[in-house]
Amino acid sequence: MVQQQPLLEGRNVTKYFGGLAAVHHVDFAVYPGEIVGLVGPNGSGKTTLFNCLSRILPINEGEIYFKGKNITHAKPYQVAHMGLARTFQVIRVYRKMTVLQNMLISRQWRGEGILKMLRPSSKATHERARQLLDFLLLGHLMHEPAGHLSGGQRRLLEIGMALMPDPDIILLDEATSGINPTLIETIKDRIRQLNRQEGKTFLLIEHNIDFISDLCSRVYVLDFGEKLAEGTPEEIKNNPAVIEAYFGAE
Amino acid sequence: MRTRRLETIFSSRNTFIGWIILLILLALYPQVTELSGIRLLQLTQIFIFITLASNWNLIGGMTGYVDFGHAVFFGVGAFVMGILVTQVQNYIVFAPGLSFWQALPIAGLAAMLFALLIGLPTLRLKGPYFSIAMLGTFVAMREIVRVLKDFTGGGRGLDLPPVLNRERDYYFMLVWMGLVLIAIWWIHRSEFGQSLMAIREDEVGAEMRGINTTKHKIIAFMLAAFSTGIIGGFWAFQNTYIDPDVVFIEQRTVEMVMASMLGGLGTVWGPPLGALILYVLQDVVWSRVPEGHLVVLGVLLIIIVLFVPEGILGTFKNPSSTSLGRLLRGYREEQPRPETVATE
Ligand SMILES: Nc1ncnc2c1ncn2[C@@H]1O[C@H](COP(=O)(O)OP(=O)(O)O)[C@@H](O)[C@H]1O
Ligand SMILES: [Mg+2]
Repeated sequence: MVQQQPLLEGRNVTKYFGGLAAVHHVDFAVYPGEIVGLVGPNGSGKTTLFNCLSRILPINEGEIYFKGKNITHAKPYQVAHMGLARTFQVIRVYRKMTVLQNMLISRQWRGEGILKMLRPSSKATHERARQLLDFLLLGHLMHEPAGHLSGGQRRLLEIGMALMPDPDIILLDEATSGINPTLIETIKDRIRQLNRQEGKTFLLIEHNIDFISDLCSRVYVLDFGEKLAEGTPEEIKNNPAVIEAYFGAE
Repeated sequence: MRTRRLETIFSSRNTFIGWIILLILLALYPQVTELSGIRLLQLTQIFIFITLASNWNLIGGMTGYVDFGHAVFFGVGAFVMGILVTQVQNYIVFAPGLSFWQALPIAGLAAMLFALLIGLPTLRLKGPYFSIAMLGTFVAMREIVRVLKDFTGGGRGLDLPPVLNRERDYYFMLVWMGLVLIAIWWIHRSEFGQSLMAIREDEVGAEMRGINTTKHKIIAFMLAAFSTGIIGGFWAFQNTYIDPDVVFIEQRTVEMVMASMLGGLGTVWGPPLGALILYVLQDVVWSRVPEGHLVVLGVLLIIIVLFVPEGILGTFKNPSSTSLGRLLRGYREEQPRPETVATE
């Protein structure tokens, strides 16, 4: 395989909370068109790594590159404009707003001036929101307040919001947790479709091992903030250190 | 679902049309009947009340940054007007004796610039810290105005040209109120306004979805300050006299907050409605129990916060969100607890 430039790359990423190293000297790279998994026991630093990558948290050491640009000190909205989108483990939808309004908030942003902002959302933006909601089976709930949705539907809405600006990479934080098996299949199916047909790149935090095996070509394993292993899902499943980290502590 | 009908009646568009009709009627009012100077002054005061509440609502209601010192922009506008139209003794740095119309935009722009300077550091603060910082700004500014005697006349204040023209005042405030409310109605339905509300509901989420939150907050703050500065400038001219104690009054901010909360924070038409109700209420209370006036207002504020935290319009829109709304509609629904996400 000829290695191109990584789409998203972390070098020596380190984040401390007080004395606790939540993410410690982590190196990783995600290449365009890949679906990469990020796994690890609870509290191993996966969400923190996402927060660092999406620039919500400042990092203490290391560098982050996106599309070859150093984004270590960029603002979240800047990396969003560059084409990075994410969802949150603890769902962040706007409960009081309707499903459609939620989608409209996460619209395309590239190169918008202040006078443009003072216009209502365009027809094209509405159209895209509608299409995505249909794609995610939420079309019929468009005018409901997001607070009325079930947990699973909210996860889908968050994925829809992440897709709204047509990003290049999407970071999903436990997109399947608390979701019924049918809906999980839907999500899996949609991710595959977006990846194959539109070339979207994904980085997935997951506990569902089947989900990871079905979708991901490569997996990183975190444990106590450190990178424990990386490889194909098969390799990871059979890696003694990973088995130890997951089951040894019990 | 059950609120759909009320919502369509109070839809933004219908209310907008109703508002335009009301403005036209108000414009004709002094023409078709003989209005006393007092009545004109009263109506002008109501317009001021409504516009100030709407200005405050832009930053405090829509954006969710509760500004406890917003009257500082009123004060800045008033004193810039005062300084520009009077012959200030001793250190004259400005060309003194500008006309009202020359000085007015400068008063507004000065307030706006001040908002930029204050907003850059304070809008980074979250919630209560911003509120307290603005309160501090307000108190500090009053002292600064008191100390800068050479410009502001200090505690003695400034006498502006004694021009009394109630009808002109009436029309000025009517037009300004109309412009501000149309602007706010427009902002509310624009992507800018939607982004402000996203910031209010979840700032981190908004930022992650591509909203430059700092820029949005600053612009909203500056727009609100500009309009409040204009009103301060106008008020100084109308009142023909200013000093720190009549201009920098805490109560002015309190009234903006109360009117917005009473009518419905973050809605377009709530704050004007709240301001109107509050004005009438104050008038009644003031004439009955002048000494207990502030106590009654305080109690009212507590009642609003406890029973109608989303205000009158908010209660109509989303009955489940207030105890009054639930009471009126027998509406029961468990409210999920707001979720939090670990951030620094
Ligand atoms: N904002 C925060 N402040 C302090 N400690 C935190 C914060 N966020 C996460 N942590 C800690 O960092 C560690 C990693 O947490 P997290 O990234 O959420 O793990 P994971 O997503 O892998 O379950 C945990 O020990 C957690 O308690
Ligand atoms: Mg996590």
